[in-house]
Amino acid sequence: MIFFRIDYLCLVMPKTKYKFNPDSLSYDKVRLGVKELFFRFLAYLTASVIIAVIYWVIFASFFDSPKEKALEREVEQMTIQYDLIHREMANIENVLVGLQKTDDNLYRTIFEAEPIPDTKRDGGVGGVNRYESLEGYTNSRLVIETATRLDKIRKRVYVQSKSFDDLIELAQNKEDMLRSIPAILPISNKDLTRTASGFGLRIHPIYKIIKFHYGMDFTSPAGTDVYSTGNGVVIKCLSSKRGYGNHIIIDHGFGYISLYAHLSNFNVRVRQKVQRGDVIGFVGNTGTSVANHLHYEIKLNGTNVDPVNYYFEDLSPEEYERMIEIASKTGQSFD
Amino acid sequence: MKLQYSLIGRQIDNSLSSLSSFRLSDDVRYRPILDMDTIAESFRRGGYGGVDRYRDLKGYINSDLLISFRSKIELIKNMSNVQIESFKSVAERSAEWKREMDHFPGISPVSVNFRLGDGFKFRYKHPVLGTSRWHYGQDFRVPYGTEIYATGDGTVIESGWNSGGFGNYVIIDHGYGLRSTYGHLSEIKVSKGMNIKRCDLLGLSGSTGTSSGPHLHYEINQFGQHKNPIYFFNNDMSEEEFSEMIQAFGSKSKFR
Repeated sequence: MIFFRIDYLCLVMPKTKYKFNPDSLSYDKVRLGVKELFFRFLAYLTASVIIAVIYWVIFASFFDSPKEKALEREVEQMTIQYDLIHREMANIENVLVGLQKTDDNLYRTIFEAEPIPDTKRDGGVGGVNRYESLEGYTNSRLVIETATRLDKIRKRVYVQSKSFDDLIELAQNKEDMLRSIPAILPISNKDLTRTASGFGLRIHPIYKIIKFHYGMDFTSPAGTDVYSTGNGVVIKCLSSKRGYGNHIIIDHGFGYISLYAHLSNFNVRVRQKVQRGDVIGFVGNTGTSVANHLHYEIKLNGTNVDPVNYYFEDLSPEEYERMIEIASKTGQSFD
Repeated sequence: MKLQYSLIGRQIDNSLSSLSSFRLSDDVRYRPILDMDTIAESFRRGGYGGVDRYRDLKGYINSDLLISFRSKIELIKNMSNVQIESFKSVAERSAEWKREMDHFPGISPVSVNFRLGDGFKFRYKHPVLGTSRWHYGQDFRVPYGTEIYATGDGTVIESGWNSGGFGNYVIIDHGYGLRSTYGHLSEIKVSKGMNIKRCDLLGLSGSTGTSSGPHLHYEINQFGQHKNPIYFFNNDMSEEEFSEMIQAFGSKSKFR
């Protein structure tokens, strides 16, 4: 202990201090207390530490440590990886776009489903910033970009898989659909001689003005059988003296509705299920009609469509052409 | 001679085929829609049968040819006669139907875009008299001075003042048992006995008689029975289409 102290004092105080003592008229050695020594030591220590730190900072700013070098290399490596991932994502996005195109243009067209709009496919969550935790780093932008892109891809893949599920269902319903869509003539029409007036602008037989004729007229003797043109359910079977007269409306599903007007009598009831070719009523001259005829309309998703395009089960292409010709020739409808 | 005969033969065949196409359109097109019976094939072909009418042509070399020609010509004559008669009757029938359609009160007397008032119903409280009684017509809430048009061809059988409550009124006899009445007019433009066409101007609307405001009272009688007028017109026309119709009929009519 003493040794240490002497040694220490030798190191700290190379010179001995003296103080004049007026009593003894001599110079006494100045002895420092433990406390003073300690404080002095602390001061030296602090100064040395500060100098060391300054040295270290200066050194570190010019030279990297091996560990740092390794980390830097790692970061570089990560950035390259991120870039690679980005490129991969772009590829995946391209593939997805291709899938969407085939989905919209091929499958959905085949099954007559509405294409999925882009806004629904992208379907952003919006509002809340979901990448807040990733902000504030050197490479934040890159990371956030990647995360956003990944989220988008995930969303698109989800929508696409759902869409394919729908398509599978549609494909399974296809047979049903083919049986339900109106596809035959509503009355027997040998040599197309019963075709009277088609879809389009025609002179109204009573008002004598040009009005749009939303259906097709077939002239026929009163009491001729009227057939259901596809499988479906009778949703309306109304006896009336005005407008359509006695008329039947059949819901075929898949957005198709057909209407048979001016009937003399019914053969079905409301909510009855009918098959294609079933006799549902008989031709007549009821309602706003000037002669015995059947007025036949098809509605697809609520809008009237030209029924001439819905006889593909019955008519050959030549007959179809002839039908169009006959139907477009007449100037006046029977209403 | 033989060449000539074969030429004539071709012509005969042509006329036969055109005749049969006439017959087709007659039987398939016109007769069914006009509720007429089709003419039997045997009746069309006629034929007297029994007596051999071509006896004097026999005994020649080309007898068969001659006889077949004669019989074909005979057939054409028969068929065309029947066809002419049939077309005559079809034309008559269609004119008859057209006449009926023209006389039928099948449009509304004013544009249907005007609000409908009280319909054909039992009213517990008459707006003027306050008592309960039947309302045998359809009211149109039209402004004062709106033009009222005839709803079908016919004859005016009554026009003038009705003390029973109609005020100035017009009754048109459309034939086929149908009569239409137009009440509460402010001005009458037709007189008794006039033959009028559909869409002819009858008068201007008003509030005469037992009426609580300007409106048109439209009634239809069939064989003396009151019918609901709502079943005699459709609401499928716009304002423009209605005025277009009035003009289209007016240009044909002899009045106005």
